[in-house]
Amino acid sequence: MQGIRLEGLTKHYKRGGEIIRALDGVTLDIEPGEFIAVVGRSGSGKTTMLDLLGLLLKPTAGKLFIDDVDTAQLGDRQRAQMRARKVGFVFQEYNLLSGLNVLENVMLPLRYVKNGKDGKQHAIELIDRVGLSDRLKHRPAELSGGQAQRVAIARSMVNRPSIILLDEPTGAVDTETAQQLVDLLKRLNREEHVTLVLVTHDTDIAGQATRQIRLKDGKVLTDEKVEELVPVA
Amino acid sequence: MEIIRNVARHKLRSFLTISGIVIGVLALTTMGAMAENFNALLNGGVAYFGQNVQVGPPDGQSAALLPLSKIDEIKAVDGVAAAFPSYGFQAKPGAPPSFSFGVPDSIVAGDPAENDWAGLKTTFASGHQIDAGSSGQVVLGSSISKEFGKKVGDSIDLPIRPVDARPDFVNHSFTVVGILNVTRTAPDNFAYINTADGQMLLKDSLPIAIRDQVDVSKITQSVDVYAKPGTSLAELDSIANRINSQVTGVKATKPSETVNAFKSGGAIFTAITTAAALLALIIGGLSVVNTMFMAVAERVREIGLKKAVGATTYNVMSEFLLEATLIGLVGGLIGYGIGAAITIIVNGTTPPGQSTLFLLTPALTIFAIGFATLLGAVAGVLPAWRAARLDPVIALRNE
Repeated sequence: MQGIRLEGLTKHYKRGGEIIRALDGVTLDIEPGEFIAVVGRSGSGKTTMLDLLGLLLKPTAGKLFIDDVDTAQLGDRQRAQMRARKVGFVFQEYNLLSGLNVLENVMLPLRYVKNGKDGKQHAIELIDRVGLSDRLKHRPAELSGGQAQRVAIARSMVNRPSIILLDEPTGAVDTETAQQLVDLLKRLNREEHVTLVLVTHDTDIAGQATRQIRLKDGKVLTDEKVEELVPVA
Repeated sequence: MEIIRNVARHKLRSFLTISGIVIGVLALTTMGAMAENFNALLNGGVAYFGQNVQVGPPDGQSAALLPLSKIDEIKAVDGVAAAFPSYGFQAKPGAPPSFSFGVPDSIVAGDPAENDWAGLKTTFASGHQIDAGSSGQVVLGSSISKEFGKKVGDSIDLPIRPVDARPDFVNHSFTVVGILNVTRTAPDNFAYINTADGQMLLKDSLPIAIRDQVDVSKITQSVDVYAKPGTSLAELDSIANRINSQVTGVKATKPSETVNAFKSGGAIFTAITTAAALLALIIGGLSVVNTMFMAVAERVREIGLKKAVGATTYNVMSEFLLEATLIGLVGGLIGYGIGAAITIIVNGTTPPGQSTLFLLTPALTIFAIGFATLLGAVAGVLPAWRAARLDPVIALRNE
């Protein structure tokens, strides 16, 4: 089955003698092409869930399947390969490498996949699609926050992943730029059929997703399609 | 490309780090070239003295004089294939003492046929060997020919008259018939004459009181004894023992003692010079460690990002290792370049006749640059390992 399945996914931390239940037995199915907003208060487990989905963390218990692959069976090298091929990341602080120009930043993930060298043309196309074809050789310091985040979005897509994980992608830009970024994401989601999982505090942004998952104390409080939230006239 | 940019990102810091390596490699190159030069000189001694048995007067005899008749007695000893009389004189008597890594200019007299037996073969850059039975002919080593600006066909007075020579100083005119190729060892400073001319110089060197009472045609200063080619050093030692037991009034030196003295001298010099240079280089290597740890600390988020987009532990580690290796390589190339330039300039300004101080060899070149590169790589291991083991979740959110 294509898509992502979380089965009782759990992540506990020890802090001193206390056990922190960052994510506590979450079970979900994520269909290909969904645009999911994960909301909740600070400490509700949103970022932990994103890190688990991105294979940056290993769960304490439970299972995570990506495109039918049980990720618990993967070694570190295979997890890195799956991250490179199946997952894209977008962070609040863009995390562009200051020593690289726009094109080189977008091409960065190509280094870590086989046959990634021929992805340059794809990288250029993506930069064009995010509206920055005139900024190919610019360094991150020469870009606005919105432009930098668009570069990060292009970077997240360069290996044609099946899922993109976005951690507060609009948190560092103004409202207008934030909406432009969300419009871009919606367009890419629609055109590329790529799954988006977006963590946000912004209810307006979350309201534009097709599905909204609310977490509280590491558990799923609500899991609703956004259309269902809209009152029928 | 990104690795070069990373090194260039902090220009001053990279410059200072690379400078540490440069100084170390510079020291290694110059000290190593000095050791190589010294060893080439000693290796010539090993090659020469490892192939024959030197026979001289017995211990306690003040003058190096032996009856030529001893050669026949020596030839009768089991294992001896050939024996040649040998004479040696200062080419520049009365010259002020000076420190040099080479041997002093000398006049060596003997049978030209001895070259066929010698372990250290000499070849001719121009001219030819002294003619058998001739007199007044000389073959000059490469250094001594340059010192006096002589070429084949020129004449040279030997020994060289000192500036403050006494009125009764005697020397003789010789015609240069051959110039030897460079050997980087003793023959470069030798002037070779035949036995009869050697005996003439021997007579000149004797005290006036006994000069006319000695028939120099029946005397030699020492005897070079050869076994058949391919004889081992141990067997030559046995021959020396047999000469000492069977021939009275002579002292045969075991060649292994001479060879070991040369080798131990070379080993000590090489150890001292190389250790000093390596110490400097290792200090330079520590600066690479420090620089790379700083680079890791500054690029924690970058490391986290690379892991997030698919970099493995190996990928991250190799990127930092390559960066450290590049620092070592650049430092090695620059340090070697400067060191090589210094050795070439110093050798080039050495006055003719004085031994040059440095010898750059391919082995030294490979060792100096290779060691610096390897040092950079080794210095980068710990920082690279730390970078590779960073938890991407923590690294990505590092402030």
